Amino acid sequence: MNLTVLPIAFSVLAVLVIISRIVRFIRKEQGQTLFKLLTTIGVWGSISYISLFPNHIRFVSRQLGFGENLNTFIFFGFVAIFVILFRFLAIFENNERLLTEIIRKQALKGFINRS
Amino acid sequence: MKPKKKIKIYILIPAYNEGPVIASVIQDVQKEGWKNIIIVDDGSTDSTYDEAKKTGVIVLRHSLNRGKGAAVKTGFEAAKKLHAESIVTIDADGQHNPKDIMRLLEVLHKGNDVVLGVRNFDEKHIPRLKVLGNYIGNFFTWMLYGVWVTDSQSGIRAYNRKALNSITIYNDRYEFETEIVREISRNNLIWREIPITVRYTSYDQNKRNKQSLMSAIKTMLRLVMFD
Repeated sequence: MNLTVLPIAFSVLAVLVIISRIVRFIRKEQGQTLFKLLTTIGVWGSISYISLFPNHIRFVSRQLGFGENLNTFIFFGFVAIFVILFRFLAIFENNERLLTEIIRKQALKGFINRS
Repeated sequence: MKPKKKIKIYILIPAYNEGPVIASVIQDVQKEGWKNIIIVDDGSTDSTYDEAKKTGVIVLRHSLNRGKGAAVKTGFEAAKKLHAESIVTIDADGQHNPKDIMRLLEVLHKGNDVVLGVRNFDEKHIPRLKVLGNYIGNFFTWMLYGVWVTDSQSGIRAYNRKALNSITIYNDRYEFETEIVREISRNNLIWREIPITVRYTSYDQNKRNKQSLMSAIKTMLRLVMFD
């Protein structure tokens, strides 16, 4: 294992995030569920593991049949995430406009009734 | 002959959290002889609505803050219902000089559909960040709609009935100022720009909801992405 600054920094960050989530879960803070805790441990644990043992990922990639093309797979993953994000933004924007129309109609309704 | 005596003119003032100054802004406009004033309180959390109501003008209220574009759109609808022939929008923070209303209307009634007030950016009291934000706005307006205006973010503008009927505003927030330029171009409206005076007070500069350079950039990104 060839440790450099970046993997160590990622691992420290991952440990801090996981500890913080565990503390919040033990304190039974609002919105803290077992699912959230396990997801955090899974995601940040994976980040920490991959940054410390990058060679293991190459092994997994070969076993899955991607060979040395894992980067292409990751690239398409990013593209998919951006498309989904844009869709969400468009949906939010549409909902915002609908809300505005309701508020505007409400204001004008009062106006028509008075005039 | 003053145009205000001949036809039905409304002054539209969209306002959000302008409680400390809204009454004096309305009174300044009234002192210039304008009686038909519509205030659209855009969900203010301070005393804006009550202060405006005390002055006896028409006050409409959004129950939630939806942005200046939404407030202007509501004001346009109200003006149309009141059979307005011309409408002038000014900002509620007192930065515009009510004497400019007449100047805008005089130009409007010389065969124009829309008159845009233009700030003099060479004046030293205008904050440099505002100048830069406006230039970015002008550039994006030109890039998106092919129309170069000198002050794409100016809040003091005059519209005649034809413009009121043909302009469609989709955007709720500050991007509507740019959208108006698109509508001018799309509907082949006749437009003019005239210089106006602005008064940047300490109240205006310290306001939390003022339009910053960052919000100008966000506005442009929204226009590019969703328009």
